[in-house]
Amino acid sequence: MNWLNDNVNALALLGAAAILILSIGVSLKYIKQMKTDKSTGELTKENWDGIGEYKNALPIGWALSFVGTIVWALWYFLAGYPLASYNKIGEYNEEVKSYNAQFEKKFANPDQATLMSMGEGVFLVQCAPCHGVTGDGMNGKAANFAKWGNEEAIVASILNGAKGSSYPLGEMPSGLLDAESAKAVAAYVMQEVSSVKKSKNPALVESGRALWATCAACHGEDGKGMDGSAPDLSTYGTAKFVANVLNMGKKGTIGNMPQFNDGRLTNIQKTAVGTYVSSLAK
Amino acid sequence: MFHWLEKNPFFFAVGVFLVIAYAGIVTILPDFMESARPVTGTKPYTVLELAGRHVYIKDSCNACHSQLIRPFKSETDRYGMYSLSGEYAYDRPFLWGSKRTGPDLMRVGNYRTTDWHEYHMLDPISVVPGSIMPAYKHMFKNNADIETAYAEALTVKKVFNVPYDQADMPQLGTYDESKKAVMEQAAAIVADMKSTEVKEAFKRGEIKEIVALIAYLNSLK
Repeated sequence: MNWLNDNVNALALLGAAAILILSIGVSLKYIKQMKTDKSTGELTKENWDGIGEYKNALPIGWALSFVGTIVWALWYFLAGYPLASYNKIGEYNEEVKSYNAQFEKKFANPDQATLMSMGEGVFLVQCAPCHGVTGDGMNGKAANFAKWGNEEAIVASILNGAKGSSYPLGEMPSGLLDAESAKAVAAYVMQEVSSVKKSKNPALVESGRALWATCAACHGEDGKGMDGSAPDLSTYGTAKFVANVLNMGKKGTIGNMPQFNDGRLTNIQKTAVGTYVSSLAK
Repeated sequence: MFHWLEKNPFFFAVGVFLVIAYAGIVTILPDFMESARPVTGTKPYTVLELAGRHVYIKDSCNACHSQLIRPFKSETDRYGMYSLSGEYAYDRPFLWGSKRTGPDLMRVGNYRTTDWHEYHMLDPISVVPGSIMPAYKHMFKNNADIETAYAEALTVKKVFNVPYDQADMPQLGTYDESKKAVMEQAAAIVADMKSTEVKEAFKRGEIKEIVALIAYLNSLK
């Protein structure tokens, strides 16, 4: 019988035996007493169908502890442990605070792999409902990230215009440049302005530089967007550019993207999403 | 001491009730008056949103979707700020729901948009692979019941003093004025939609259920 070797089982059996023996002993004592005892004493006035009640004073110890319990209950309720000492919102705030402190400590200097996996996690929850699990935009329901943040995307933006980012200088009209010039400007932006610093058409960079004046009107000579008047192209293709879109939202030609600045994402998470989204560009 | 009480069933019952109700009274009453008031910034629904709310109730959205975010980090991370009781001040009836087969919708207006709702109602799997939510194609065919929504708004205004027609609050006015405001709000939503069926119906002056429902969902913030 293996299970008897277990301490807890043995103790439980021992306890059960003790309770059984005590119960039998006490029962026998009272049964014997009932046979021999005679009741005496003064009856109360009340009589319920022949059943009476003796006038017995409360045992003094019992009465004192009864009153004492009531007094203690009132004290406990009002002063000892008042209702206000626990609050579910307070507990929530504590929980969030300790979590955030831990999060910031753990991800103070995240490496690329950490950012990528965190970014993918956030992407699948917050972005995938519109951009699709793979970021392909689900047949044009939202931006396709394979075609976003790269040189072709700049060409498309110049040809089709860009709208819905609520910058002070307004929307970018379509058709500012023809297809050939757009390609050249895109090469210039990728190699000279953006953080990517690499163009697929290096030969076109110089002719793009000559055409840059059209864009400089809003994006500035250096492409930095003149202190927030227009998008800062120097961050193009990086996590920072994506984080900016997350903060501003976008009411573009495809649809409406909500802002993600209500505190649901921390700055580290935004950078992580940006890193992940930028990695999807081809 | 209490023999007189044992002989009076009525007062005995009152005594029992007081003893049992005590815990409830001390936990509920102190907080109740304060937290049941509308939170600053909470506004009653516009007539179009109310019509959408009726669609929400009619199609039993609340059977699968809750509208109550609990104060846990896991919930506020996903759905946003936890719910306050004052935010439901103008919900008649409240739609807290009791089971989350789908996600909570308390603040869905913060993170979903008109065009997303349109895709989703027409074919949920097209935007959420693996979703078990049924399609609600009939919402693109049936017209929203603006008259009933207006009647409800007017009733709660008169009976419960819901602050319609006050500064910074939704305006009701007469039915015709209200209809104009409804058409304005609907126009903005229809402009963001893709369905030509809905757009053409709107040109004829018809507001489809989907438009009202999207107005309602966008108002949940």
